[in-house]
Amino acid sequence: MNRAWKGPLLRQAVALLLFAGLLAGLVGVAGSARLERADFVFNNTGEVQSLDPATVTGVPEGRILRGIYEGLCVKDPVTVRPLPGSAASWTKSPDGRVFVFDMRDEARWSNGDPVTAHDFEFSFRRFLLPETAAEYSYLLWKVVNAQAFCTGKDADGTEREVDWSEVGIKALDADTLRIELEDPVPYFLELMAFYPLFPVHRASLEAAQREFPDTWNVEWLKPERLVCNGPYVVEERRINDRIRLRKNPMYWDAKNVALDTIDALPIEHWGTSVNMYLTGEVDWLDGSIPPNLVPELLKRQDFIPKPYLGSYFYRVNVTKPPLDDKRIRKALSLVIPRRAIVENVTKAGQAPTWSVVPWKELDPENPPLEGEAAAEEARRLFAEAGYGPGGKPFPVIEVLYNTSETHRDVAEVIADAWQRELGVDMRLKNQEWKVYLDSQTNLEYEVCRAAWIGDWVDPGPLNFLSLFVTGGANNKTGWGNAEYDRLIAEIGLEQDPAKLEQLMLDAEAILLEEYPVLPIYSYVTQNLIKPRFGGLHGNMLNEHFPKFWYWMDDEELAEKLADLPPDLQEVPPGGPSGGKYAPVGRARQIGRN
Amino acid sequence: MDPSGRWNLHVRDEERLLAEAAEYRGESLWQDAWRRLKRDRTAFWSMIFLAVFVALSLFAPLLPLPSPIALDLKAEPQPPVWTELGNRGFDYTFETDDDYKLAYWDLYWHDKRLVDVRKAVFGDWQTGRWFGTDSKGRDLLSRIVWGSRTSIWVAFAATLCSLVIGVTYGAFSGLIGGRVDNLMMRIVDVLYSIPFIFVVIFILTFLSEPRQDLETESLVDKGWVFFIVIGAIYWLTMARVVRGQVLSLKNSEFIEAARAVGASTARILFVHVVPNVLSVVIVYLTLTIPAIMLFEAFLSFLGLGIEPPKVSWGLLAVDGTDAINPIRTFWWLVVFPAGAMGSTLLALNFLGDGLRDALDPKLRGKH
Repeated sequence: MNRAWKGPLLRQAVALLLFAGLLAGLVGVAGSARLERADFVFNNTGEVQSLDPATVTGVPEGRILRGIYEGLCVKDPVTVRPLPGSAASWTKSPDGRVFVFDMRDEARWSNGDPVTAHDFEFSFRRFLLPETAAEYSYLLWKVVNAQAFCTGKDADGTEREVDWSEVGIKALDADTLRIELEDPVPYFLELMAFYPLFPVHRASLEAAQREFPDTWNVEWLKPERLVCNGPYVVEERRINDRIRLRKNPMYWDAKNVALDTIDALPIEHWGTSVNMYLTGEVDWLDGSIPPNLVPELLKRQDFIPKPYLGSYFYRVNVTKPPLDDKRIRKALSLVIPRRAIVENVTKAGQAPTWSVVPWKELDPENPPLEGEAAAEEARRLFAEAGYGPGGKPFPVIEVLYNTSETHRDVAEVIADAWQRELGVDMRLKNQEWKVYLDSQTNLEYEVCRAAWIGDWVDPGPLNFLSLFVTGGANNKTGWGNAEYDRLIAEIGLEQDPAKLEQLMLDAEAILLEEYPVLPIYSYVTQNLIKPRFGGLHGNMLNEHFPKFWYWMDDEELAEKLADLPPDLQEVPPGGPSGGKYAPVGRARQIGRN
Repeated sequence: MDPSGRWNLHVRDEERLLAEAAEYRGESLWQDAWRRLKRDRTAFWSMIFLAVFVALSLFAPLLPLPSPIALDLKAEPQPPVWTELGNRGFDYTFETDDDYKLAYWDLYWHDKRLVDVRKAVFGDWQTGRWFGTDSKGRDLLSRIVWGSRTSIWVAFAATLCSLVIGVTYGAFSGLIGGRVDNLMMRIVDVLYSIPFIFVVIFILTFLSEPRQDLETESLVDKGWVFFIVIGAIYWLTMARVVRGQVLSLKNSEFIEAARAVGASTARILFVHVVPNVLSVVIVYLTLTIPAIMLFEAFLSFLGLGIEPPKVSWGLLAVDGTDAINPIRTFWWLVVFPAGAMGSTLLALNFLGDGLRDALDPKLRGKH
């Protein structure tokens, strides 16, 4: 009997073992493919274009870059005023033209190298080099000789070759960076906390350039190669899945960084995104909320929109007739049903705007034309330009927008108004974000949905006015006006706030006369965020630095909820009930700098 | 038979046989199929249902529906109202071509005439909010009916395209056989290996190159690109299926008989072979149509299909997905478009099933 059983038993055992092995393997594979939930998960609303700070302009990119790099300054989470970052301190000359930054001694790159003034000089030089093609490069043009270095031309258009040694950015030693401006720039320190001006690690960049002569600009940003100096490093990047950030142990202020891991998801579909928030898979949505839900969300504790320095508008490609006629552009702008759009499409408290500068108070004496009066004026302008009844038929216009339901909804409402009031046939065309950005840059559109978010708070309007200087990288309309350029240049020189205000009004008036863009509404922040989450405040720039983020414990949460209006609906607070504070303990995190 | 080996047939018998033969009426394949289809209840009603649906979409401009594009902005989609049959809200006048664009979009001339008839018959009267409205206050019933035009016609045109190419190609390949067959099928294999969603995206992107001059150049109508591209891709399976059938048929007696009397290849192909593969072709077609409808929905979902303000079931599905969420569900945005699409696809499948049984020559004469 024993003999008879031995064989089959052994065989069964082997079979079972193999099966168990197979199962274990499967579980292992499945387990390793699935990442554990991060301490904090947010929806970044799209795949980032790049992690190279010099070349990106989008909001999703900014959210990541603020986590993995640190500029000379960071911004206060509430007031968004500059605080010391990689620079421990700075001095400003009395005329506001020369800044000397004293680098923080303990600041380190994630590979242990010290963060030096030379790193910043290298990064700023790279940022200005024409071959980097940084769209934001104009931000530094106020530095002595920087514009000539970047474009080969001075501000007045005279051609000039400039060597880097003549540009006003100098690392005096590893510890000291001196920046000399041609004119005082009131928002210069704010710029130093702005993500395009974050530093890059020279050694790893150059190593990648040697190793991959053709594809280095992809290779050096791969998680295993990327060296950064921010509170977080990129641990993993899975296209169309997530970017996983992990706390950077080399960061100089690591003891004050509360969260160990952060996930940024690239979910474009808003319905999915809200569902994930409601089921607790995501802790923070910045925008990307289906407008249908906004009226419901406004009743909740976790959705409190605040004014946001952002403007939603349509760019017009003025190089394509008949859109080169400003009467046409003005007529198209006049009949946009702005109030209907903010009340019934976006619904979160956005304000209709007739200027590209957001949150602009309307002049009560001279309110903008609306409704039937505006439509009549628009038809008159159309007739004057030779279109409309009795005139030439107006060509079909294509409106480009990036794939998203709100943009489609807004476009449909505008299309309806243009058709009804002016008989303009409009077609909608949507493109994925990167393609859409390229189409705009190359002027491959007719009318295109666009938005701009301010990069500094003071002076706010200049964010928007400076976009439309002739040939500016973010102009993207083909429009230019010498008088306008002159005014913008003068704004840079002006120290007196009252005169500054007037100059900005004058510049704005030109835009309002010429309509290279059709303003639609001013933004509100739409942060849908778990109430327990701390360190992320709805500020005017909606700029949030991950280094300040943490989870509140029950006590702090109760205090926060007590301050909210009492009629709001209670929601699950999210996060761990004991909170998650920085390793130094539960010091009040806000304003501790 | 008598021992002499000759038929001993009486004249009377002969006459009787002739009379019988004269009385006997042959039944064509189609009559037989129709008779059997009528007997299959599910398939028959599916056919009626589809016929009604196709008629509805064909004559959509005739129906007293609200405008599918007129916006009535409200903060939220409005739920269906079943108490009000209709109202006098269709206050459009249609005099110039631009007038049609206010209530509809750029219609073809025959649709414009249908709209005129509707206006003459019903005047301002239009149906009430039977199916509710979408997020921009547009009538959902009207959008479903007008959307069916896109979806049904994309499906039919693309299917027709695949039918013509696929059947000809497959039958020809199977009939000729040998090297030609081999070559033709390898071409199909190569085309199969191309991921065709990329092809469609590529072609659509390529065709939507920016215009240089707004005044002269006309934009490509994406609807037609759909028909052609989808049809041109869906014929591959059809060709294979048909070829397989032809291979099994081509050595049968009736083909040899036709060849023996000197019929040309083309004649054999279209008169003798094709009718015999019809049952398979029709089954495959009824499966292709739903697939194409879903594909159109998918492309519209991705933003590559029909562009607003035109509407298709795919776009309605996109709006519907927004309506499902734990906070607030606008059920009518999901239920009605999904219902329309689901019942159409189901009916197509039933009909296909019934047609296969009805058209199968092996089942001829059986009840």
